[in-house]
Amino acid sequence: MSSTAQITPPHQPAKPFYFNSSAHLLRITALKATTLAEFLEALRACPEDSIFQHAFRTLQEHHFIREGFSNDFAHWALAGLNQAGLAEQLANVDVREYTSLAELRDRFIQIVEEHLKNNPGDASRVADETFYFCASDIVMMPTKFVAQSMQEFANGLREVSVHSIHHHFIEARLRIKLMSNDFSQWLLEDVGLTETARTLNRIDIYTGTLEDVRRQVVRTVERALA
Amino acid sequence: MKSQTATNRQFSSRPSAAPEEALPDLRSDGDKKPVQFAQPVPATPERRKAPRSWETPPAPVAAPPFDAYESIVGAAELDELRFLARELKGKTIKMVNSTAVGGGVAEMLNRLVPLLGELEVPTHWDVITGGNDFFEITKGFHNALHGAPYELTQAAREIFLSYNEQNRQRMQFNEDLIVIHDPQPAALIGARKDSHARWIWRCHIDLSNPNPQVWGFLRPYIEQFDAAIFSSQSFARQLPIPQYLFYPCIDPLSEKNKDLDENFVQKVCDEFGVDRSRPIVTQVSRFDRLKDPVGVVQAYKQAKKYVDCQLVLAGGGASDDPEGAIVLKEVKEVAGNDPDIIILDLPPWCALEINALQRASTIIVQKSLKEGFGLTVTEALWKGKPTIAGAVGGIPNQIIHKLTGMLVHSVEGCAYQIRYLLTHPEFAAQMGKNGREHVKENFLMTTNVRRWLLLLRILLTQGKA
Repeated sequence: MSSTAQITPPHQPAKPFYFNSSAHLLRITALKATTLAEFLEALRACPEDSIFQHAFRTLQEHHFIREGFSNDFAHWALAGLNQAGLAEQLANVDVREYTSLAELRDRFIQIVEEHLKNNPGDASRVADETFYFCASDIVMMPTKFVAQSMQEFANGLREVSVHSIHHHFIEARLRIKLMSNDFSQWLLEDVGLTETARTLNRIDIYTGTLEDVRRQVVRTVERALA
Repeated sequence: MKSQTATNRQFSSRPSAAPEEALPDLRSDGDKKPVQFAQPVPATPERRKAPRSWETPPAPVAAPPFDAYESIVGAAELDELRFLARELKGKTIKMVNSTAVGGGVAEMLNRLVPLLGELEVPTHWDVITGGNDFFEITKGFHNALHGAPYELTQAAREIFLSYNEQNRQRMQFNEDLIVIHDPQPAALIGARKDSHARWIWRCHIDLSNPNPQVWGFLRPYIEQFDAAIFSSQSFARQLPIPQYLFYPCIDPLSEKNKDLDENFVQKVCDEFGVDRSRPIVTQVSRFDRLKDPVGVVQAYKQAKKYVDCQLVLAGGGASDDPEGAIVLKEVKEVAGNDPDIIILDLPPWCALEINALQRASTIIVQKSLKEGFGLTVTEALWKGKPTIAGAVGGIPNQIIHKLTGMLVHSVEGCAYQIRYLLTHPEFAAQMGKNGREHVKENFLMTTNVRRWLLLLRILLTQGKA
C-alpha cells in the first residue's frame, strides 16, 4: 500500500451537514374560543400555521420545561376548561407521528369531537380563559456551522442555538415528509450509521428540555464516534 | 416574641424627616425644583452624615453594545440576529412616540434603537410635539382605551388631529418602515400616501375593553396601517390588517436587571433593614390600588401564622401622585406595628436598589388586580425567583401555573402560595429556574430585536399593498 494513499476515516460523510435555524414571528389570528364548541369550530377553520404554532412551535417557546407541557391545546383544556381527561388525550398527540399539519389537525379535531360526543354538556361551558389562535410566520436562515465529519457534527450540535435543534430535530418532519428528522436522515443517508440514526429518532422530546434533547443527541453521536 | 409596639420600618421619598436631616440637592442645576430624596423613617431617628447610595439620581448609563449580550444569550443567538440584520442592510426604520423620557416605551426605545443601529439597520426615533391641551386629550384617550368612561367632544377630535397634522408637516418619512407607538401619533398615518414605507401601529395599551367612542374614532386611522402589534393576544382587536404579538421585554444588562455583586445586595438590605437570614417576600410596584398592596399585606399576615417571613413593599408614586399617597397611608394602616413589614417609597432612579431587593428576596409577589403586561413579573422571573402573581393582563403569558410561577386570584390564594413555596424550596427553586428560561426565550431585549428584524423582513418581502 502506498504511503501516500488517502485513508478514509470511519464514518466519513458523503455530504456535509449544514446547520440551519429558523426564526418565527407570532401573528394573532381573528379566531378565538371561550367554549369547547367554539374551540372545535376554530380548530377546523384556523390556518395550518396555527396548528404549527400551537403544536410544534410552542415546544420551542417552552423548550425549558420538562413536564406538563406538550401543546397549547392540551394546556388550555386543563388550565382554561379544567378538563383533565381531554387535556391528557390532547397532550398525548406526538407531533413526531405526523408529517403533515392537515393530518395533525384532523387528529386534534377527532379527539375533541369524541370528547363532545361523550360529554355533550361540555360544549357550551365557558372557559376560565379564552384561547387565542395564533400563527407563525417563519424565516429560515443558515448558521456558520457546517459539519464535514462526525467530529464537526458533534461540535456543531454543541454550539448551535436551541432554535437550530428545534428546526432540525422537531420541525424537520414537515419539510422532509418523513417520520424522521434532519440529523437521523443525514446519519442514515450520508454517513451510513443506521443504528445511530434510529437511536436519535427515538429520543423523547416531551419528557425533557430541548437542552436535554441536545445532550442526548450529542451523547449518541459521541458513542458512534468512539 | 418580638414587641408588637415596635413600628414597621417605612421609608418615604417625601421630605418628612426633621429639617436638620434634610439632604442637600446634589444636582448641579440647583435652580430647579429640589430633588425629593428617599428618606428612611426608622423607628429610632438617626442623623445621617452622608447621602446613602439610593438617595441621589445616578448618571445615565450608556446602552451596552450588542456583543455584550453574548454572555446572556450565547454566540449562536447573536449570530442569528446578525444574519437577519445582514439581509436587511440598507433598510431603515423610524420609530415615533410621544415622549423621549419616562415610561416603558421610551425606556424600551432607548435600548432598542442603538442595538438596531449597531446591526446596521439605521433606526431613527422621533418624538411628536404638542401642547398641554393635546396631551390632556391623549391621556384621556389612554384611560378610555383601557376602558374608562370618556366623553369624546368635537373639540377634542380637532385638537388631536390638528397636532398630528402639525407633526406630519414637521416630520419626514423617508424610511422603509415607520412604526407609530400608541394612539397619540396615530393620525400621522395620513402621511402614508406620500411615503414608500410600510407603516406599523405598535399598541402598548390593553385594548381588550376600549371605550367605544374613542376606539371608534381611532379605528379608521389604525385600519390604514399595514399591520398592528400588540403586547398580548387578548389586547388585539378585530381589524382588517395583520396583527402581530410582540411581548414587552426587559434588558438583562440594565441597572434593573444586571447581575449584582453580592456585597452590594447585602449593603442595600442593611440600609433598608432587611434581614437576609430570614425569608423575604417582596412586591415591587407603585402604591396603586390596582397593584393591591393592601391585599399583599393581608396575604403576608395570613401566611405569617404558619411561616416566618418578612414583607418588603418597594415602590414609588406616593410622592408625586395624590392617590398614591392615600394608598400608601392605607398600606401603613393595614401593616400596623409589624416590624417585619418594610415599606419603601423609592424615587424612580433606584433601579439598582430595586434589583438588589429582588435578588435578596426568597419569593416575589405581584398581586395585581389589573395589569398591562407586568414587567415587574418579568424582572422577578429573570432573577430566578419563585413568583406569585395575579392572573390578570399579560401575567398569564409569563406565568404558566406551577411551571414558571404561581397564579393567584385572591388574598387567600396568595397566602397559601407563600406558605407553600417557603416550605417547598426545591420546587420553588425549579420553578424559579424555569421562569428565568422562559424570560430568556421570550421576553429579553434580544428577542425583541429578533422580532423587529423578522417583521421588517416579512413586510418588505411582501411588497407594498
